[in-house]
Amino acid sequence: MKMSVVLATEKKPLIRFDMKKCAFCKICEFSCAKFHYGKYGDAISRITIIRKSPLMFKCLICTRCEKRYCITACPTKALSYKNGNIVVDEKLCNSCGDCVKACPFQGIRLHPETKMPIICDLCNGDPSCVKACPKGALSLVWLPETRK
Amino acid sequence: MKMKYSGYKGKILRINLTTKKTSTMEITDEFARKYLGGNGFSARFIFDMVDPRIDAFDPTNVVSMMTGPFQGINIPTAGKYHMATKSPLTNGFFDSISGGHMGAEIKYAGYDGFLITGRSDKPVYIFVDDDNVEIRSAEKIWGRLTSETQEMIKEEIGDPKICVSAIGPAGENRVRYACVITEYRAAGRGGVGAVMGSKNLKAVAVRGSGTNEVADPEKFEEWMKWFNEEVKKVPALASGLPTYGTPVLVSSINNMFGAMGTRNHQTEFFEGWEGISGETLKKNYWDKDTACPACPIACSKVFSDKSGKWKGAISEGPEYETIYSLGSMCGISDAGAVIKADSLCDEYGLDTVSYGVVVAFMMECYQRRLISKKMTDGVEFKFGNDDAMVGFVEKTAKRIGFGDLMAEGTLRAARIIGGNSERFAIQVKGLEIPGHSARALRGMALGYATATRGGSHHDPRPTGEYAGASDRKAVEGKAAWVIGTMQMTTIGDSLVNCHFLERLLGFTLTQKYVDMINPVTGFGYTYNELVDVAERILDLERAFNVRTGIRRKDDTLPRRFLEEPIPEGPSKGMHTDEATLNRMLDEFYELKGWDKRTGIPTKEKLLRMGLEDVAVVLEKL
Repeated sequence: MKMSVVLATEKKPLIRFDMKKCAFCKICEFSCAKFHYGKYGDAISRITIIRKSPLMFKCLICTRCEKRYCITACPTKALSYKNGNIVVDEKLCNSCGDCVKACPFQGIRLHPETKMPIICDLCNGDPSCVKACPKGALSLVWLPETRK
Repeated sequence: MKMKYSGYKGKILRINLTTKKTSTMEITDEFARKYLGGNGFSARFIFDMVDPRIDAFDPTNVVSMMTGPFQGINIPTAGKYHMATKSPLTNGFFDSISGGHMGAEIKYAGYDGFLITGRSDKPVYIFVDDDNVEIRSAEKIWGRLTSETQEMIKEEIGDPKICVSAIGPAGENRVRYACVITEYRAAGRGGVGAVMGSKNLKAVAVRGSGTNEVADPEKFEEWMKWFNEEVKKVPALASGLPTYGTPVLVSSINNMFGAMGTRNHQTEFFEGWEGISGETLKKNYWDKDTACPACPIACSKVFSDKSGKWKGAISEGPEYETIYSLGSMCGISDAGAVIKADSLCDEYGLDTVSYGVVVAFMMECYQRRLISKKMTDGVEFKFGNDDAMVGFVEKTAKRIGFGDLMAEGTLRAARIIGGNSERFAIQVKGLEIPGHSARALRGMALGYATATRGGSHHDPRPTGEYAGASDRKAVEGKAAWVIGTMQMTTIGDSLVNCHFLERLLGFTLTQKYVDMINPVTGFGYTYNELVDVAERILDLERAFNVRTGIRRKDDTLPRRFLEEPIPEGPSKGMHTDEATLNRMLDEFYELKGWDKRTGIPTKEKLLRMGLEDVAVVLEKL
């Protein structure tokens, strides 16, 4: 990450993932789907854990990255950044999926029924995945906002 | 069709690899209530669809990939899926269960399971993407190891989130105990992988966008709360398994019970136990804990050899059974060798239990000069030779040289080698026996003898006898105990739920299982109805096996177990002789409602279970 001088006091949230602690139980995915939709399904989870080798796990979730590739990619300007979250204006969104393709972190997917982008929203500030993880592999941290 | 009960999708996907045609079949509410899922569904479908007289590699054999009502819901310990077929090892009905996300993914794709039949003329894999089912060419991935196969398919489809169950070279070459691997876990036993290979089917990949729900969310939440509280009070689930995984069993089974099969069961106390114990593995080999989906216990461990002879070897596992089969059974006390062979077995797609027992059997044949170096490709098959044990994984999977004979399993190999070697072939009905002694645990003696699958520790369960819930030496009342544990495992396998919950919910079928099922499905089962479900499934399995020729005479143990008592250790002198086994068998059949002379379920019993059509079929025998 490029270092830059931070002047603002604003901070951005991050769901931090500790690969060493993760057990690949995917309880975070279940709890995410349950919190947002009251049912279970990995296609409606905003967090996904994948396993590349016995010890290599990856957590796919919105990182609130500096570049905000999704916002730039959106042709209808339906995405914006508010209070630490990428917010979707469902009236403007045309479900083209450009944001999904643009995200290098694979943190966005389209809801299988509504076809609207679903992105981590921190569950009103108290992320259910962090609470549910039995191994303490997920935590919510606030980092200095480097983008101004 | 929308079903009245929850946890089901009401739809089974049928795929014929010969004609490349796919179709869906609806299941009714009554069917779900009668057969529950997983094991029950498979038993019914295979009884209806498979001619029991065919060779297991006949194209008309069916590979059943099923789920129960619990998959895709965050029920701890239900992150599993179920596979079944007519086994190339036992020739009977066989179901094998694996951890992994596959079960949930099948549900999310909108199915309760897949039934795969026919034989493709070229290597293929199946990709199920919700309603879109493709049979794709697997020519590029044929011959690949299981981890490579999964990665290549994910890459080809362009989605790292899909779930793939694949066979390795062993399945392709029809090794009779080839397994199916999902992620790093195996539907290990009975050769389901070999049947997939005989169909030229390399893998099944699934992506689902759907969801799964429970019938009564409030009651379910209550149950979850109860579960999360209670699970903390069970030491095995709260500390033993989370800390050490199943290898925790090594020291107690070896030292307290003297029941750890050693050097092909010539004894049951392994002097080198310390090298392969759970404590040693945790201290010197442990890397991290892993879990099946939704399970907070995380009993699975990744182990690697950091400085020993097998430095660099890394594997998820070995589990206790693998430590027994590749370790003490072969007289090997170097955990590094066991880790190395375990990872190779996973990659080449071999069942570790059967493979280890086959190696141990060959080592005893070598010791008794029934086979020589000439036969074994110049390798000294001595107990303790870890190079031979590790080296023959690939040769067996590819059926190279002596590996071709090893690929047939102990029973068939013994018949070829001759010299009365069948007496120490550690198998029942062709399936190699795992690491729970048939001599030190009376229930396992009767259990292995009568189990549908043969030598499987997931038909009867040893845990209750270790825990002292049933006296391990008693003969009196053992038949009822074994029937109870079999009912429990059958319901567990139909829910496709982990048997480790037995310490919390009961070693035999109890009301607690009913309390777990009802909030999810909305069946409103009574205890008696659930017992009937279990008995119905068990009778159906038995009926299939009866039609393959299985009778009372086949419900027995290796001669070694019937005739040679354990020579040393805490269980010195113990075994179940033929007369005792027969006494228990009489009682067992009587309680089951099976004919005592033949071991065939009686017409009365079948009618009571609502299996009129099965009774008609058996009457014609």
